[in-house]
Amino acid sequence: MTDDTTDPTTDDGEQDRPTSGEPQESADPVAEKPRESVDSVAEEPRESVDSVAEESAGGDELVAEEPPGPYVESPIIMATVRIITPFVFTLGLFVMFHGADSSGGGFQGGVIVGTVVLMLGIAFGIEVTREWIGPRLPVGLVAVGVLVFLTIGVGSVLLGGDFLEYEEYGIHHASKYGIELVELAIGLIVAGIVTGLFFVIAGGMADSEGDLA
Amino acid sequence: MSDLVPLLVAVPIFGSIFALLAGLVRSRTGWPLAVLAAGVQVAGALVLAVDVFDDGPIRYVVGGFTAPFGIELVVDGLSATMVVLVAVVALGVLAYARAAGPRSNAFYATYLLLVAGLTGMSVTGDVFNMYVFLEITGLAAYALVASGDGGRPALAALKYLLVGTVGASLFLLGIAYAYVATGTLNMADLATQLEAVGYDSPLVWASFGLLVSGLFVKIAVFPLHTWQPDAYAGAPDSVSALISALVSTVAAYALIRIVFSVFTVDFLAANDIAQTVLVAGAVASIVFGSVIAVSQRDLKRMLAYSSVSQFGLVVGAVAVANDTALTGAMIHLVGHGVMKGGLFLTCGLIAAATGARTVDEYAGLAERFPVGAGAFGVLALAMVGIPPAVGFVGKWYVALGAVEAEAWPLAVVIFASTLLTLAYFARVIERIYFRDPPEASAGSGPADSPSGSEPGQGSAAGTDPGEDAATGVATDGAGVDTDGTGTDTDGTSVLAGTDDVDASAVSTGMVLTVVAAAVLSVALGVAAFEYGQLLEPTIERLLA
Amino acid sequence: MIEAVADRVYYLVAILLLGIGTYMMIGNRNLVKKVIGMNVFQTGIFLFLIVTAYVTDASPPLLTAPEPHVSPLPHVLILTAIVVGVSLTAVALGLIVRIYDEYGTLDEDAIRELVADE
Repeated sequence: MTDDTTDPTTDDGEQDRPTSGEPQESADPVAEKPRESVDSVAEEPRESVDSVAEESAGGDELVAEEPPGPYVESPIIMATVRIITPFVFTLGLFVMFHGADSSGGGFQGGVIVGTVVLMLGIAFGIEVTREWIGPRLPVGLVAVGVLVFLTIGVGSVLLGGDFLEYEEYGIHHASKYGIELVELAIGLIVAGIVTGLFFVIAGGMADSEGDLA
Repeated sequence: MSDLVPLLVAVPIFGSIFALLAGLVRSRTGWPLAVLAAGVQVAGALVLAVDVFDDGPIRYVVGGFTAPFGIELVVDGLSATMVVLVAVVALGVLAYARAAGPRSNAFYATYLLLVAGLTGMSVTGDVFNMYVFLEITGLAAYALVASGDGGRPALAALKYLLVGTVGASLFLLGIAYAYVATGTLNMADLATQLEAVGYDSPLVWASFGLLVSGLFVKIAVFPLHTWQPDAYAGAPDSVSALISALVSTVAAYALIRIVFSVFTVDFLAANDIAQTVLVAGAVASIVFGSVIAVSQRDLKRMLAYSSVSQFGLVVGAVAVANDTALTGAMIHLVGHGVMKGGLFLTCGLIAAATGARTVDEYAGLAERFPVGAGAFGVLALAMVGIPPAVGFVGKWYVALGAVEAEAWPLAVVIFASTLLTLAYFARVIERIYFRDPPEASAGSGPADSPSGSEPGQGSAAGTDPGEDAATGVATDGAGVDTDGTGTDTDGTSVLAGTDDVDASAVSTGMVLTVVAAAVLSVALGVAAFEYGQLLEPTIERLLA
Repeated sequence: MIEAVADRVYYLVAILLLGIGTYMMIGNRNLVKKVIGMNVFQTGIFLFLIVTAYVTDASPPLLTAPEPHVSPLPHVLILTAIVVGVSLTAVALGLIVRIYDEYGTLDEDAIRELVADE
């Protein structure tokens, strides 16, 4: 049984749902674009909280019908995500580190790490995940990543060499470690941007411009 | 010190990040940080320009990886000019945007990112690096255009995005063809290698065609200009000024760089069709840009079509490809940046003060708002090409170059362009100075509708007034009644006569910037001759 | 003749993708489909670059690997271009979300009418 009393996001109403009908119903609204007309999908309390939150956050009279929120609760997805998340995160880090002599690198690893947050959002509810992540973390990640890269670059100028000249740093194999660090910084930036953008787009409301570096 | 070159790109990025971080802690800290970064940028740019004009071009290798294998930054007279122009205009528009513009930290972060992208595009000596900075510039520009309130800016930004991406992708495809032909991406290296491959090879032709098409989209040359009117008209006023003064200008610089540093003059001489394409684009832009501008009612759209026409002039100078024409092109790029930016800022100022946005609403502006009307008049006449102003000098050199090269159709069109420019500016100036202001311009208070409000942080100058159409309706006739479209905005009396200038929406910063732009457009014209002398060694090297 | 085409089939596919992408951007009325068309257009360019960079039986560009090496430069070009494409799509989708909130529709003709009525 996928029952889990420690999970704060499950609701009492979920236990009554027959698991056989579950994939059908959860597949349907997830597959549909939220722009289509409202179906008679049974709205769980979580989803109605989501859609109410979205409606009160941004709905105005120009929106024709209330679109169903993108979140549908499903015990299978929640269990799977709960198990897989650490492995996906590790895979992301692995890809970030191994860009030099196999496929991978900063961008790809960053996207995979960002996908971790997306998975958590889709499994457990976007609003909840957004509150957990907080408004500052994506921006903070992007800022730290860019600062690391610029510090490495300008640091070598201050030490007397050219911009981004790794050899100035005097560490053994400075070029390799320098590039590795830059890749990690890029991974941070991409993860921050992917996460931030997901919440902006899924939230469906204003502020969708601006800090899209 | 030659380390200044990458630092000039790094400083605005630092500023952008600090603006973002500061926004997490305290809002409304964006403007001081942006001014600090822009101030440092101006100082650095001036030092770099003095260095380059004194000692010759600077070649800087990034990361110690020597030239054809690594990325090289090359700064010569053209690049230094562009860097200084970008820094100065950015600082100037910041002075305007303090009162008028959007105020969120994210806006200033994107603003500084745009400055970084433009500077990067100007100093790089590697074609792919230029593509990357072109895309950074584009992204920042799309986000800035969308920073107004309402749906119109978002639509304009989306259109700009779609068309601009096609342009940049064509640019990338051109780089791909050049890379396939030669195996290198460094501009200086490409020049020698392309010559070795031969200027009659289809790879080289394809590369040239794609690169030039991509840049035509970014410069907004006639058939590919469709994004420009919507983007300029839909963006907030400070953003319109910034983008019109800088983005197309640096794209035109990129065209000059690509045509003359990568495919040298010999390529143009060997392939007549290349020159024909450039001339055709130039002539079409000049003529059609002006003709369509005449029929516009909204002032910002008119100025956008005017940009199409002016950049046609610059593309024509590139087609002619001799010393005088290129000097004229550079002078015109700098002058157009200052003049067009100043014109957009003036439009914003007038709209903030009196709510006038269309040509008809500008009637009698000289009585209602003499400072704004005066600045507009000076800038417009400078753009038309009245002698001491910089618009005249640029056009004169380009026309002279065309005559020297015996490109008669182009020369005739350039001479005619003055008349065409006069056609669309004269109607506005006539309305400003020689017509009476409309009767009870009811309820047309400071309508900063598509401008000056930032999302999510409250509106700029008080309440949010009605749309353009509402003000148009209210001021078209002599309607005294302010109908219930809510245009009765902060504090202006409904039955106010001709002096309905709302002083609270106009700050001294805005007025000073506009006046400075007008003065600069004349001063630059006087100084243009010395600037031409300064540029001479650079252009000789370019055309060698 | 067939051989000439068969040698260059990947280039033809790349050009075909460019064409399809352009047609999608112009011909579709839905804004999201236009953005997808932009992505297809960019994918054509990536395919072109990948095809030109392909070396048969090559190994990664490491000194310890056997001889014909792949040049890492086109791969970096494509990677950068992909990242640029992703960020452009992200910005475009953010703008589309805002347009949808303002106008309530994603159909280009309907939006044009709404804008003309304003």
